[in-house]
Amino acid sequence: MKRAGVLQLGQHVGKIVLIVLLGGTLGAALVRFSPGFGVDERELDSRLNEQSIRALRQRQVEENNFAVFYVHYLGRLLRGDLGMSRTFERPVSELLKERFPETAKSVGLSLALAWTLGFSLAILAVMSRHWTIDLGASLLAGLLMCLPAAAMALLFVLARAPARLVLALVVLPQIFRYSRNLLARSAAQPHVLMAQAKGLNTLRIFFCHILLPVAPQVLALAGISVSLALTAAIPVEALCDLPGIGQLAWKAALARDLPLLVNLTMIVTLVTLLANSACDLLGQRFRGHAA
Amino acid sequence: MRYLTGGVLIRVDRLTQAAGPELAISWKISNGGKTITFKLREGIHFSDGSPFSADDVAYTMQLLMDPSVHSPTGDSFRSDEGKVETRVPAPNRIAITFPAPIAGLDKLFDQVAIMSAKSPKKEMAVLGPYYVAEYKAGSYVQLQRNPNYWRHDAAGRQLPYIDSVHLDIQQNRDTEMLRLVRGEIDFISSLDAEYFDKVTSQNPALAHDAGVSLDSEQMWFNQVKNSPLPGYKKAWFASTSFRRAVSEAINREDLARIVFHGHAQPAVGPISPANKFWFNAKLQAHPFDQKSALRRLAQEGFQLRDGVLRDRDGHTVEFSVITNAGNKYRERMATMVQQDLAEIGIKLNIVTLDFPSLIERITRTFDYEACLLGLFNNDLDPNSQMNVWLSSAENHQWNPSQKTPQTEWEAEIDKLMRAQASTLDDKKRKSYVDKMQEIAWEQEPFIYLVNRNALSAISASLRNAHPVVLRPQVYWNIDELSVGGEVARKH
Repeated sequence: MKRAGVLQLGQHVGKIVLIVLLGGTLGAALVRFSPGFGVDERELDSRLNEQSIRALRQRQVEENNFAVFYVHYLGRLLRGDLGMSRTFERPVSELLKERFPETAKSVGLSLALAWTLGFSLAILAVMSRHWTIDLGASLLAGLLMCLPAAAMALLFVLARAPARLVLALVVLPQIFRYSRNLLARSAAQPHVLMAQAKGLNTLRIFFCHILLPVAPQVLALAGISVSLALTAAIPVEALCDLPGIGQLAWKAALARDLPLLVNLTMIVTLVTLLANSACDLLGQRFRGHAA
Repeated sequence: MRYLTGGVLIRVDRLTQAAGPELAISWKISNGGKTITFKLREGIHFSDGSPFSADDVAYTMQLLMDPSVHSPTGDSFRSDEGKVETRVPAPNRIAITFPAPIAGLDKLFDQVAIMSAKSPKKEMAVLGPYYVAEYKAGSYVQLQRNPNYWRHDAAGRQLPYIDSVHLDIQQNRDTEMLRLVRGEIDFISSLDAEYFDKVTSQNPALAHDAGVSLDSEQMWFNQVKNSPLPGYKKAWFASTSFRRAVSEAINREDLARIVFHGHAQPAVGPISPANKFWFNAKLQAHPFDQKSALRRLAQEGFQLRDGVLRDRDGHTVEFSVITNAGNKYRERMATMVQQDLAEIGIKLNIVTLDFPSLIERITRTFDYEACLLGLFNNDLDPNSQMNVWLSSAENHQWNPSQKTPQTEWEAEIDKLMRAQASTLDDKKRKSYVDKMQEIAWEQEPFIYLVNRNALSAISASLRNAHPVVLRPQVYWNIDELSVGGEVARKH
């Protein structure tokens, strides 16, 4: 039994590693074959002579063959070397170390806020059974969904509000809508209606008969919300000058910085997969309890 | 940033454009322009306390001229094959000998920040007014006052007055403006015309227009022989009359007035009128004259029928211009050029590309017809444009890397540029450069459109700021600047 569990965990980890590597390969291929790959703005510097321009071009020869680049990259990765960023001319590991805390803080704070507000609104909308509350919350979520993250970021800058909270407003409507639908469906089950009709304790009905059956789905939504917040961090950090991973990804994409982009792709993939796996594992436990 | 941290032997005064002593008290050029001998200031120390001597200059030159480094500053000193030799006869004297004479040699040292040969802090030990205290790549740089800076004011107080400078690398112009208005930053250099007008409308005292800068906006046609363009288009673009006609059909005054809100002026040629010594004052910007443009085209066999221009073989005259996406000034200029050319029956299509894609087209694939781009000039000496004007150069953008000049006028420009680079007499050099500007004006391989003005915004709390057209426009006199809280924050 224990052995089977270890085997299952091993399979899961193997699957994550494989997907991360595949994500890295696809990321590398996309950057390599994008127009403008392998050029350096410095080539237009009129002070540079022919040899220097050729040397600038030569520097990217290894990256031209993305398969060779990727194999070399993986070799270096095994030794703990993430390579050098062409744009910043600094080791990628240093850049990530510098910027990861900023994004982690933004994403963490915004997720906490989005879940607190979004889930509370969903509970209120479902449990109150009052159409005005449900409509009001749905309209608010709809409005936030219509606003592009970039526009919200600029509004926050204008209002001198902390721009990292924009991430919360990007994730909040998704959390509200999905969790509201899940809870509403669960609350409409005949046995729940019967329990309510019989006057059972509302809290007990909510936790045991409404929330518990949909816990695996809610946890899956939690996993997705991490990747939603991470994706939104790219335009928000770029527009609001927040020195995080998102801003780094933006600059790396504009400069076709292959080593940096491959690492960022793999990190985003890894974080998303880990968040989803953790939620899956928790979800399985809940399924067990519910059963 | 190098201007704020690096100590140099000679400084080009951003106001007078003349070279003046800095870490070198005096210098002498000898050996037919190959050798420069400096007498250095004594008793000076780097920011970390290590002493400054001629050995540091020798070390800096050795690093700069390292063939594997490929720095633009180093390339400016590479006049010929061979080694650069340094001789240190005394701790305060150094002679540097180059393999061949270099015109304008002394002013090139304005770009050479001296590094310490002995300091354990290496390039972080500096001789300029500030040292880097903190740096976050792509985000900000925090500079602190160099406690060993050698310069003092008339009252004997050590300069600079401001204790620290925070340089923000700001991606978003709107945010930057907002921060200036709120007083979160003290100045913005190289401001766009639109934002300049916004600042003016909110608080005219903050906005500063130093006048026309060295930067130019230009358009050129692809004249690369093996480019993937049809033969008849290559023939149009190679025709001087065609290029001159397109140039005359463009209303440069309108570009300056509408696109740059009047903060630009019609460009004349490769050297801006802001470059006091090297600009050929005999030349004027090409006038807007669509009738003359049509006459030139008619002489080449082009005919305007039903509002459409056709060449002698009946091909409709239509081409595309590429420019970098996101640069609204270039996009607007392209739109106005499109309207002007439509008046003489030419259909212009505008294609915006992100910068790497655009560079790929103009330097690798040559898959483009015309390009609209700007040239940022930091250097006054025409030598800095050698790699644009020599027909063999990689940056000879309309037709790079030619084995032999493909036209007579390009051969003539090659001759003139080489002649000015090998002459030390400034008057002679000026005559060659004047002639080069005349040929460029006549042939128009680059259709120069406008020279932008040097615009900046400076908060009221920053004192003694006198923005100039040369970079760094606002803080060129950083030693003399002061603020209420003695901290300057800048984009």
